[in-house]
Amino acid sequence: MTLEQPVAGVTRAAGEQSGPAAELSLLVDVGSAWTKAVVVARARGRWRIAAHAAQPSAWGEEQLVTALVARLSSGADRRVADRLADLLATAPRIACHTPRRAGRIGLAAVSAELSGASARRAAESAGWTVAEAATADDGRPLAERLAALQAADVDAWLLAGGFDDGEATQALEMAGLVAAARGASRTPVLWAGSPGLVDQVALLFEPGAVEAVANPRPSAGEDDPRPLRHTLEGLLQQLVEPGGVRQLTPVSFRRAVAELARSAERRVLGVDLGARYASWVLADETGTAESRVFAGGGLSAASLVGPGGPARLAKLLPLAIDELAVADALQNLRARPGTLPQTEDELAIMHAAARQLLAQGAAEEGPISGIDLLIGSGRTLAAAPRPAQAAQLLLDGVRPLGVTELAVDAAGALSPLGALDDAEIREGLGMLRDDLLTPLGAAVVCRGGRPGGVAMRVTARRAGWPTIGPIEVRSGRLQLLPLGRGQSAELEIELEAGVTLGGPRRARRAQATVTGGALGLILDARDVPLTMPRRADDRRAVLAGWRDAFAREPATPASGEQA
Amino acid sequence: MNGAALHRVRIPRGTVPSVMVGSDVQPDQVLGLHRRPGNPVRVLLATRLRVRPEAVASLLVARPGARLAEGDAIARGADGREAVAPTGGLLLGVSVVDGTALLAPLGPEEPVIGHVHGRVRAVEDGAITVEVPGTLVRGVGGTGEAVHGELMVAVHDPGEELRATAIDVGATGRILVGGSRASAETLTRARAMGVAGIVLGGVLDKELRDFEAIQRRRREIGGLSGAFGVLLLEGFGKVGIDPQRFGWFKAHAGRMASLFGTDALLYVYDATSAPGRRTLPRVGERVIAHRRPFQGRAGVLVAELDDLHATPSGIATRMGLVRFEDGRLAPVPLANLEATLPVPPSA
Repeated sequence: MTLEQPVAGVTRAAGEQSGPAAELSLLVDVGSAWTKAVVVARARGRWRIAAHAAQPSAWGEEQLVTALVARLSSGADRRVADRLADLLATAPRIACHTPRRAGRIGLAAVSAELSGASARRAAESAGWTVAEAATADDGRPLAERLAALQAADVDAWLLAGGFDDGEATQALEMAGLVAAARGASRTPVLWAGSPGLVDQVALLFEPGAVEAVANPRPSAGEDDPRPLRHTLEGLLQQLVEPGGVRQLTPVSFRRAVAELARSAERRVLGVDLGARYASWVLADETGTAESRVFAGGGLSAASLVGPGGPARLAKLLPLAIDELAVADALQNLRARPGTLPQTEDELAIMHAAARQLLAQGAAEEGPISGIDLLIGSGRTLAAAPRPAQAAQLLLDGVRPLGVTELAVDAAGALSPLGALDDAEIREGLGMLRDDLLTPLGAAVVCRGGRPGGVAMRVTARRAGWPTIGPIEVRSGRLQLLPLGRGQSAELEIELEAGVTLGGPRRARRAQATVTGGALGLILDARDVPLTMPRRADDRRAVLAGWRDAFAREPATPASGEQA
Repeated sequence: MNGAALHRVRIPRGTVPSVMVGSDVQPDQVLGLHRRPGNPVRVLLATRLRVRPEAVASLLVARPGARLAEGDAIARGADGREAVAPTGGLLLGVSVVDGTALLAPLGPEEPVIGHVHGRVRAVEDGAITVEVPGTLVRGVGGTGEAVHGELMVAVHDPGEELRATAIDVGATGRILVGGSRASAETLTRARAMGVAGIVLGGVLDKELRDFEAIQRRRREIGGLSGAFGVLLLEGFGKVGIDPQRFGWFKAHAGRMASLFGTDALLYVYDATSAPGRRTLPRVGERVIAHRRPFQGRAGVLVAELDDLHATPSGIATRMGLVRFEDGRLAPVPLANLEATLPVPPSA
């Protein structure tokens, strides 16, 4: 079935009412807090996004249709304007939704720092929440550990421990502990420890209960959680959403980003930051995608309000807001995720929280470099009041080294399109390619350099326009240059000694072709990760300076001018 | 919400239920008995069976997790020799390195209390589901254990702070209804005075964290007894209870209630329907605002603005015009408003 076919169905339905045919379709992403809907319609032979709306999920579908009708009515053909509500109500829809609940896993491992940390990372990036964790070195008496595991309400157990070449008696003891805590329940058990212990671990449980997975920590120096993550993703889908996973937003977002990367032959990083979930998808030119899904990684993340969380966040604010107010605002965001920050202070706190979550995700990914396109999705990123805020959230949070184009999924169409069949995704994304993403611009992000010294010199050549530069950008500063949407530029980048764009070799010169957007070209020499003064007043002044630099209208400086 | 609600009481795995489906239970009734495992003892299996340690795992006749009585076989050799449990307990596992088994003796039976009144609908491993014939009031946050007790209103005004001096021996065993906040000192005193729980409109997150830290420390040094829960109805910060809700609580003072702080739930028994809430209010309805600068304030939605309008933060959204009870007229995002529904006439 292609995207055209359901639309033809609408044409018939509309024809039955003896009115003119209207070819449209509805893309819906039902989030845990907000629902996004996009009307896709064919006009003059081309499929375009005709309208989009978002509202708290609790408001229901009728309101959503009403909002879409209101958006559509001003530009709609008079002959169908009266029937828009009916047409939308009966329009074919492609929908996806946030998982209704996260999977809960019980973790038992030998070491909190090694096997436990690897297993936890794999579980948390596969959409699970760790309901209880016990490690042989957690300092608790064995009886207390067992009592905690017995009280845990879990969907599955994850056991880890032991290097591939070693004896691991403690791993077996931890497995025994889980077997004892699990009792007569039939919850699945994953063994992600030393392969030499598989048989012995299996003997502790009833036949068939244990599935063995590659050890994420085969030695002290190695850490590869990917096979475990993939197994955990499969298990989660099987246990929590057995009805089909393509309609799950984390899955459909991954599929859409992968197809975008394949069709554009670019390396694409997509970040979807929601109220509960955060998804990271890194896809290469072949469309091969690796994703990480954090069930508790959205704006209601417990890490934001945990010990020290509000204090850390208060340090990221360009405004003087005390830690107590930050803590209350974050808790209110958690308690009522469908509400909106009405004041500038609350928006600043929410944006600081988003930057913090992105930075945490990026730190887990390792240094992010060589990305051609960085896409922000989710209301906080994609519906930020100003494009400058969206760009700053992405750049401050992800810190993509090198030359990267930035865009947001403003309408929220990516994830629903990813819920289409394999053959249809390509067609769907292709048909809407001009509307799908809102380009924010391109960024050149470098790392290193002497404080206050020149980090890079950038010259931008634009066809039919005067050459800009070379512009000198000092360490810790950023500069915006004009480069409109669709306009491309050839960049020549000269790096100072000790400065890098994250490439495999330390080249002093680099060239790139970029396309502009709402902000133009962003030259960012603020280091990776961001370095900020320790004194509160100085730090706030620097943060406010960066905020203002993003918000300022891009200007063409004179050649050799410094930023 | 009125009528019956299904409440899932978590019980540790291994608990022996003392109720069955259809049983009527009271808040202080024992739903099951649980025996905590104590410090484990090692049982020599390989030595007793005269086999190599690595062969022990395949000779087990009891699997980890099994409850063994004194004298029960743990492993049996090919020659019929048996290694038996020297004491009753829970088999935790075996070590193939030294050929021993870990056996945790079980402690005395401890009662598992559900803290809810109602009829048992399901008994599973790890949970007992009870149909609760009470009025459910949902909060937005909370902390602490499940508790039950009589409701007692401890402030005169819903916007008043609950102060430590307002708590005396008369509050012991009760669930207090406070006002707009309570300090960590007040919460600590309440617990020390044997108060079962506190219902508040708001609380500063910092105060709640401080209180939790004090409780954690006291638990570590072993000086904590009795359960205590806190339920938050409106939000974090200094937020009063909606006067309509406060009035309902006053009308139900003395009724038995069950409070689940961590789950942010309160059941009040023999109660009329509680004033409800609905998202997306209609023009003319009484509303309550969430988020600053109007958090916790009530008023009437006098109009819904056409098109999208920007909030002071710059977010374009559907806005309503609210006449607050202090007379101020202000635009508020509809997403930040809830209609406060009147108590049905039958109540």
